[in-house]
Amino acid sequence: MSSVDSSGDGGKWLDAHYDPVAGLYTFSSCIDLADLSGDRESRLVVGDLGTGSSGMKLKVYRGTALISENSLLDLPAGLVAFFMDLHEPRIPAVAVASGPCIYVYKNLRPYFKFTLPSLDINPLEQDVWQQAREGQIDPVMLKEMLESIRKKADVPLSVRSLRFLSLESDEVDEFVQLYKQQPIRRQTVITCIGTLKKSTADEDGISCLVIGTENSDVFILDPEAFTILCKMSLPTVPTIMDVTGQFDVEFRITVACRNGSIYILRRESEKPKYCIELSSHPVGLVRVGKNMVVGCTDESLQGFTQKGKKLWKIILPAPVTTMAAMDLPTRGLQAVLVGLANCQVHLYRDKNLLSTIKTPDTVTSICFGRYGREDGTLIMTTKGGGLMVKILKRTAVFDDMDSTPGPPLAQSVRLNVPKKTKLYVDQTLRERENGLAMHRAFHMDLSRTRVAAARAYVKALESSLTPMSSSLSKPLKMNAVVQGLGPSFKLTLNIQNTASCRPIMNLAINFLYDDNLYRIRNPYMKIPLLVPGLIYPVETFVECTSDKGISDIIKVFVLHEEKSSPLLTAHINMPVSEGLVLS
Amino acid sequence: MGLLDKLSGWLGLRKKEVNVLCLGLDNSGKTTIINQLKPSNTAAQEIVPTIGFNIEKFKSSSLSFTVFDMSGQSRYRSLWEHYYKESNAIIFVIDSSDKLRMVVAKEELDNFLSHEDICNKKIPVLFFANKTDLRDALSSVKVSQMLCLENIKDKPWHICASNAIKGEGLQEGLDWLQGNFPFLSSYRDNGENGSQN
Repeated sequence: MSSVDSSGDGGKWLDAHYDPVAGLYTFSSCIDLADLSGDRESRLVVGDLGTGSSGMKLKVYRGTALISENSLLDLPAGLVAFFMDLHEPRIPAVAVASGPCIYVYKNLRPYFKFTLPSLDINPLEQDVWQQAREGQIDPVMLKEMLESIRKKADVPLSVRSLRFLSLESDEVDEFVQLYKQQPIRRQTVITCIGTLKKSTADEDGISCLVIGTENSDVFILDPEAFTILCKMSLPTVPTIMDVTGQFDVEFRITVACRNGSIYILRRESEKPKYCIELSSHPVGLVRVGKNMVVGCTDESLQGFTQKGKKLWKIILPAPVTTMAAMDLPTRGLQAVLVGLANCQVHLYRDKNLLSTIKTPDTVTSICFGRYGREDGTLIMTTKGGGLMVKILKRTAVFDDMDSTPGPPLAQSVRLNVPKKTKLYVDQTLRERENGLAMHRAFHMDLSRTRVAAARAYVKALESSLTPMSSSLSKPLKMNAVVQGLGPSFKLTLNIQNTASCRPIMNLAINFLYDDNLYRIRNPYMKIPLLVPGLIYPVETFVECTSDKGISDIIKVFVLHEEKSSPLLTAHINMPVSEGLVLS
Repeated sequence: MGLLDKLSGWLGLRKKEVNVLCLGLDNSGKTTIINQLKPSNTAAQEIVPTIGFNIEKFKSSSLSFTVFDMSGQSRYRSLWEHYYKESNAIIFVIDSSDKLRMVVAKEELDNFLSHEDICNKKIPVLFFANKTDLRDALSSVKVSQMLCLENIKDKPWHICASNAIKGEGLQEGLDWLQGNFPFLSSYRDNGENGSQN
C-alpha cells in the first residue's frame, strides 16, 4: 500500500508490474492491446524501435512476461491491431507500418506485405540516369545536372538522386557503379496509421486501415484485398491521426499535421472539411467523445469541438511527451492521459485535472485498455526502456478538482427564480399598453393628495390646531411631557414666548378630555406673564379612572382672554395606565 | 427445536450446517473447486463464468456445507460484502499463475478483511493457491508473501496449493477448514451460527 500512496495518485491505481529494464523503446502510436489468441485475454503488442537503427522488433507481452518477438526490417511508424476477416475464432491481425510498407501479422506470423504505390518520376532525372548508365556522362556531370533539376523541377528527385547529391566526391564513382543499372523509383513513407470500422460499429467488426504518408496523402485500404478504397489529399504532411465512424456510413479523420494545423476529413470529400490552426505544433491528439484534446509544444492542452471550435486551453507544468485516451465505458469514465516531461502523468477530464501519477522516469508511451482480464489497465513505457503496468482500483472514484482559475462553480448554479404567473404576465402587458393613462392617473391622485394636505394645513393654521402659534402678535411655542406609569400622571406643559422683546399676558390653559377616562386636577389654569425666551413649565396631575387599559388623547388649548379661538392646540397621546392593568 | 433434534445434535448424528463464502478474482477457479468438492454424480461437466453467484450444498464427514460461490468479475465484486455477515468461513481462491493481477487479489482481500462485518469476526479463512500445475505458477509460499498473509493476526488462516481440475490439494484445505470452526472446539449448538469467540 505504501508504494501506491507514495506515487501520489491518491491510491487510485494498483502497481501491478514495473520492469525498469524491459528494454522497450516505443511511442504511443506503436503500442496496442489485443486478444491475439482468442482466449479473451488481451496481449500487449509493441513495435519496439530498438536503438533507432537496429534491433527493431515486434514484441508481445502476456501478463508480466514477453511471449513473442519478431524482428522488423525498418523502424515502425505505427502499429494497430485490427480485424481483417470474419473467421472464427475472432483473432485480430497486427499491422505494422514502417517505411513505405505495411506488414500484416496473423497469429504473430508474417501474413501480408502491402507497399504504397510508387510516385511519378521526373522524366529529366530518368534521362540523366539513362545517360549515366550508357556512359555518356561522368559522375561530376551527373551531379551538376541533377542539381539543376532539383532546383527547377516541380516533381521532386528520387531518394537515390538526393543521396547521390549529398555524397562526398570520393564516394560518387562507387555509388554510380552500384546503382546505375537499377531503375529509379520514388517512394513515399508512412507517417501514421489508424483503423476505421468498415460497415458495423461492433467491437470485432472488420476494419479498414487508414494511413497518412509523407506525400501529404491519406489512404483508406480495404482489409481483405488491400486495395486503396479512397485517397484524400492534405495541404501538408500528417503526423498524428484519429479516426472515427464507419467507412460505409460516415467517418471523420482528424489529422494533426507537421505545419501546426489540424485538418478534419470526412466521407465524400477529398479535401479537408475543417482546419484548426494551432499556435504551436501538436504533440498529441486524442478524441474524447465528440471533442478533441490536443497537446502542444507550448506546454498547453487545448480542447476543440469536432467542427474545430476552440473550447478551452490550459497550461501544463511541463512539456507534453505523449497522450492517450482513457475510456472505461463500464464506469462511464472518459478522460485523457497526458505524459509530461517532469515524470508525471496527468489525467484530465475536459480541462479539469482528475489525478496525477508520478513515474520514476519520463513516460514515452501510454496505452489504456483491457490487458489480460482486467479492463482498466494503464500501460506505460519510459524513456529508459521500462515497462509499467497499473490497474485502476475497483473502488477508485475520480472527482473533478477544478484547479483552473475562472468563474467559480457557484456562478453556473441556476437561481431558483419562480415561474412567471399569468397574473404577472397580464399585469406587465397592461402596464405596457396603458402606461400613459396610468401615469396620468398617478399624477392626478398625487395632485389631489397635495391639495388635501395643503387644505388640512391651512385649516390647522386657521383654527390654531398646531402647537405653534401663528399669530404675529402672540408667537408661542409649547411642548408637553407626560410622566408616570399611572394611574396618576404628571403632565408638564412647557410654554415659551418666542417673540423678540414683547411679553404676553392674559393667557390661560384649558383641557379637553373624556371625563369617563381621565380626571384632571385643574382643568383650567391661568398663565402668568410670559417673558420672551424663557420656558415656563405649567404642571398638573392627570388621573386615569378607567381600569380597562385603554388610553385617549387629551387636547390642550392655550387661550387668550379676549379671543374665542385658541392660540394654539396640542394633542397629547396619553400612555396606557399600567398601574391599573397590573392590579 | 425438538428434543430429538438436540439429542441427535449431541450424539453427532445430525451434521452441523455451515455457510461458506467462496471469493476470488474472475478465472481463479472458484466454481471448479466447488464443483470438485461436490459428489461426483452432481458435478457439472462444463464450467462457465459465474454470473452473480451460485449456491452449492455438499457434505463432509462431520459438516454440511452451504457454499456461496460468488462471481469474481469486477462488476459483481460489490455483491460480496452482502454475504459477509452470514458466513461462518471464507474460501479465497487465487490464480497463482496470474502474477499481474496478484495486486488486484491483494486489494480485494484487504477490502474484505477491513470490512466491518469481517474485521471483528474470528472466522477461518482458507486460501487456495490454485492452478499450481501451470508452468509459470507461483508457489503457495510466494503467493502468501505477495498477499501479505502474515499480517492476518486475528483469524485462523491456511493456504493450500491446489489444482482444481484434478482436485489436488482440495481435501487438505477442507480438512483444515473442518478443524477450525470455532463452535466445533466448544459445545455443539444448533443455533443460527457458531460465532462465539
